[in-house]
Amino acid sequence: MASLEVEIAGIRLKNPVMPASGAYEYSEERKSFFSPGELGAIINKTIFLEKRIGNPPPRIVETPCGMLNAIGIPTGGIEDFIETQLPKMESFGVPIIASVAGNSIEDFLEVSERVAETGKVSFIELNLSCPNLSEGIEWARDRKQLFSVIERVKASVDIPIIAKLSPMVSDVAEMAAVSEDAGADAVALINTYKGMVIDIEEKKPLLGNLTGGLSGPAIHPLAVYAVFSSYRKIKIPIIGIGGIASWSNAVEMILAGATAVGIGMYNFVNPMVMKEVIEGISNYLDDNGFNSVKEIVGLAHRLG
Amino acid sequence: MKVFYEKAKVISLKRIGDSYLEIVLENRNIARWGRPANFVLIKGWENYDPLLARPFDIVQADGETGRFMLVIKVTGRGTRLLAKLEDKSEVSVIGPLGKAIEDFSISRIGLLVRGVGAAAVVLLAEKARERGIEVYTFLSASTGSRLVCRELLEKYSTEIEIATDDGTIGYHGDARERVSAYLDEPGFDRLYTCGSRRFARFVKDMDKQGRIEGYLFLETYMACGMGDCHGCAVGKATGEGYYLVCKDGPVFRSSDVVID
Ligand SMILES: Cc1cc2nc3c(=O)[nH]c(=O)nc-3n(C[C@H](O)[C@H](O)[C@H](O)COP(=O)(O)OP(=O)(O)OC[C@H]3O[C@@H](n4cnc5c(N)ncnc54)[C@H](O)[C@@H]3O)c2cc1C
Ligand SMILES: Cc1cc2nc3c(=O)[nH]c(=O)nc-3n(C[C@H](O)[C@H](O)[C@H](O)COP(=O)(O)O)c2cc1C
Ligand code: FES
Repeated sequence: MASLEVEIAGIRLKNPVMPASGAYEYSEERKSFFSPGELGAIINKTIFLEKRIGNPPPRIVETPCGMLNAIGIPTGGIEDFIETQLPKMESFGVPIIASVAGNSIEDFLEVSERVAETGKVSFIELNLSCPNLSEGIEWARDRKQLFSVIERVKASVDIPIIAKLSPMVSDVAEMAAVSEDAGADAVALINTYKGMVIDIEEKKPLLGNLTGGLSGPAIHPLAVYAVFSSYRKIKIPIIGIGGIASWSNAVEMILAGATAVGIGMYNFVNPMVMKEVIEGISNYLDDNGFNSVKEIVGLAHRLG
Repeated sequence: MKVFYEKAKVISLKRIGDSYLEIVLENRNIARWGRPANFVLIKGWENYDPLLARPFDIVQADGETGRFMLVIKVTGRGTRLLAKLEDKSEVSVIGPLGKAIEDFSISRIGLLVRGVGAAAVVLLAEKARERGIEVYTFLSASTGSRLVCRELLEKYSTEIEIATDDGTIGYHGDARERVSAYLDEPGFDRLYTCGSRRFARFVKDMDKQGRIEGYLFLETYMACGMGDCHGCAVGKATGEGYYLVCKDGPVFRSSDVVID
């Protein structure tokens, strides 16, 4: 059997499969299907320093091969994360990624420092790309802001930083390169694309927030391209996210250059998808005569 | 709560009138563990479009035969695909979901339902009756052919009143008027409602006036059905944030939530 182990910033993941932030809770219900301890890493829904209630409903709507969400990041804040979420996540014995966001660089710094101080988290993922907040995407869209938020957080915590970027820029690969220059240890590509559905009966946008973020199979080829083009520009590892619904989608991401993959909304449709992807990658490696998943990271670039 | 993600075999599919389906499915775990107010997510197609599974109430659940029943109003793409299912084909099912009604320390309940909303209360009526609780049902629809789950509700109710807007069957007019006639005598420990926003507002009003304990079965768009996506939010009456219909509900005390 081929090895599924990968490494990000010196931290070993036993396999390259993890949830994408905001699409998987460490609940009793989820444990009915498989233990999160079987995953390569686990990640929380993005937290802010302070409690937030999220956006007014409707918050989601189905679209062709996808869905829009405008959840608006309800969160219990840092205290709730440390007191109730982290102990639950720790019990699975796999590396923990803490997804954080802020409305200012100071917020990002404080929430990151408090998370790092717990000593229980392996990585901090900076969510620089939520399309459902007024300032959300701007971090990932403005080179200067992107550089400074990453640089400042990097300087103030001693654990690896992952920058989660938005595809809603003219060239996501450039933003990945800015992140690398600023000191990011890895990038997570991609967050959702901003979109809208109009309710033709009511004659107005359907979502309470008017716009929402598009995820699901509809965005998969866009995400593959974001990973592929970034892989050419950066040396740090990429976590490939976007529309993964099967092991073959995940293999595509890895061939495009992802060291690991994150699975979001498809957990809603197939609660077993992450486990099936782990098994599917393993079979693919065996069937194709590879000894390790590391051998296929970026392999699609040989011809391109 | 343990949730299953499994296949269920279509045992029978009956069309009722032009817009309803009664589907009997076989899956031991759902049939065994389905409780009043639980629902399932059903997907009866393989491809990515439509992408999400659809939520439906468990209408009947028989642990012995391993079968459960859904009653579905055909409205859009997903339900139209379900209408085309053939006997012995398979669907995927996620469930049971939602917080079940488990507290039966009461002696009399009222059920005020309209259209396919009736599907939500059949299992409640059955289990309440098994425990010797009196069940008064007020079943309504725009017209006689849209009365849903009538036979089952007749079977499980102590008393049933039917009301149609056009008077084709039963009382000619609004079911709320019929409920009002019972509110003081015999009165209900709890009044549950499903299937109509007007009914929900009525129950909320009666609850506010202290005449009953009112409960609402709520429906929202859903993706995950188990608390991951935060998509199914309904406002808390306190104004401090939201409940999740899939996990905190689908049944809420009427005074706890905001409805418009
Ligand atoms: C907890 C719960 C229990 C339900 N129980 C029943 C039942 O027993 N019988 C029944 O006929 N219907 C029930 N519904 C409503 C049913 O889920 C929708 O009618 C169905 O999803 C419509 O799917 P569609 O593809 O035909 O419609 P489309 O309009 O094509 O669906 C598009 C999207 O909107 C969602 N959607 C559309 N209408 C509704 C709605 N009214 N409520 C929630 N989501 C909706 C769909 O799930 C899908 O994601 C229930 C809903 C919920 C939330
Ligand atoms: C309901 C929902 C909530 C999300 N919440 C977050 C979040 O809190 N933080 C974040 O970084 N990304 C969030 N995302 C984005 C996902 O992590 C992911 O980047 C995106 O959905 C694309 O992947 P997918 O197509 O596999 O879902 C959310 C996505 C969905 C569908
Ligand atoms: S449907 Fe996902 S949280 Fe309720």
